Amino acid sequence: MRDLPLSDSPAPDRELSPDTQLSSGGENSPGEPAAMVTALVAGEADGWDRAGLLPVALLRKLGAAGWLCAQVPDAYGGRGLSSAAGGAFTAHVGSLCSSLRSVMTSQGMAAWTVERFGTDEQRTAFLPRLTGGDLAAAGFSERGAGSDLSAMTTRVRREGDTVVLDGHKVWVTAAHYADLLVLFGRYSEAGEDDGDAGADDAGEAVAVVVPADTPGVRVTRVADPLGCRAAGHADITLDAVRVPAAHVLGGSPLPLPLLVTTALAYGRMSVAWGCVGILRGCLTAAARHAVTREQFGVPLGEHQLVARHLAELLVAEQTATRACEHASRCWDEGSPEQVVAAVLAKHISAGNAARGAATAVQVLASAGARDGHVVARAHRDAKLMEIIEGSNEMCQLMLARHVLDRTV
Amino acid sequence: MSSFDTGATGTTEANEATEKEILRFLEARTKRPWKTDTDLFASGGLSSLFAMELVVHLEKTFGISIRGADLRLDNFRTVTSMTALVERLRTAAAGGTADA
Repeated sequence: MRDLPLSDSPAPDRELSPDTQLSSGGENSPGEPAAMVTALVAGEADGWDRAGLLPVALLRKLGAAGWLCAQVPDAYGGRGLSSAAGGAFTAHVGSLCSSLRSVMTSQGMAAWTVERFGTDEQRTAFLPRLTGGDLAAAGFSERGAGSDLSAMTTRVRREGDTVVLDGHKVWVTAAHYADLLVLFGRYSEAGEDDGDAGADDAGEAVAVVVPADTPGVRVTRVADPLGCRAAGHADITLDAVRVPAAHVLGGSPLPLPLLVTTALAYGRMSVAWGCVGILRGCLTAAARHAVTREQFGVPLGEHQLVARHLAELLVAEQTATRACEHASRCWDEGSPEQVVAAVLAKHISAGNAARGAATAVQVLASAGARDGHVVARAHRDAKLMEIIEGSNEMCQLMLARHVLDRTV
Repeated sequence: MSSFDTGATGTTEANEATEKEILRFLEARTKRPWKTDTDLFASGGLSSLFAMELVVHLEKTFGISIRGADLRLDNFRTVTSMTALVERLRTAAAGGTADA
């Protein structure tokens, strides 16, 4: 796999896209990896969106070079990027293709869950696979458990040296491509009554690494998703799925809220940076159009009502960038503020991206109003970002709770 | 603070400093006083978001890594239990004992 232009060797195509030139402003320049991704993705994302599929070979190549979860430490074959550097890279990919960026979010969240909750042995066993070409997804939501993950009903039952999973997951990003699924469920020991555990919302839960080809696992694609159409969203059913007990991360149950809050923290950072990318893609496209397209005898940008759209896009992109930079700084410094900062960054970025993408479509009008176009994709993709990894409303509730917790 | 004791005894001083630091963080963050044996997550208590903040704070402040089964809620329920966790992990780190 290393013979491809994805490892340490410089990318053959060093030309930076106009996107990068216009949007980075220097301080976020993700450098050579970004150029490498640009060479692979630019011009293709449109077709991937319309086909609803990413080339699996490309995903494996990027994965084998460590780029799908670039924050995994070197010791496990990862790129060892900081949150800030990983975020800049994520934003770059997000400016080109939110479906690919979503696959990175899933892979990164799976890796982070293994890194955070796994034992030394588990980190050594699983992380090199996630940086070695295997693809992964993390499953939280269920039909009755979306925002309210405490309503999760998937069961993980211990039986001797194995655990048995029964239940289902919905809308698992990248599950269609995944070799490994990191699945969250309620835990019970053999013989334990697992009848009414659902009532115990602080209940004991586990995250389990399940190979997607284990008997009893069925993965069904979500048909025609609104956005990130090539991200491979899928529903998963689990029918007496048996894996070694050594696949239970950390080896023992933990409180469900702590488990999912921790795992989602990575996802929120990744989505937040991805939304910065969406905004950069939109800003670039809108600016280029406003400069080149003429109506009433002058470029669109000379019309004040259009010019205001550009100003608003810039404000949205810059505000989201600053919120993400702050959250990444907290993450890299190990500050406890990182938890709330990640929610804040996700909330700001997703909202800004949804509004910014709508604005960009307005500026491009008919020029951007067809499936596959960067602003049309952004419009659909950004809307999904207001829903996943904590909807706008859930983020607001968490932020409000944060305010209340620190008020007498 | 730089005690090399590896046993459970003789660390009273370190325990007190740890306890004091955890109380300081809790009070700064929640703007209310806490007792060392108050259940932080009992009804009307703190959120899961805050539980994660506590984990990160303890790791950063005391230079420890809290992994696997050590993340169970019982270890974070009270200042006393967090102090015990911190001291145990510090001792393990100093003694070279592998973590879980």
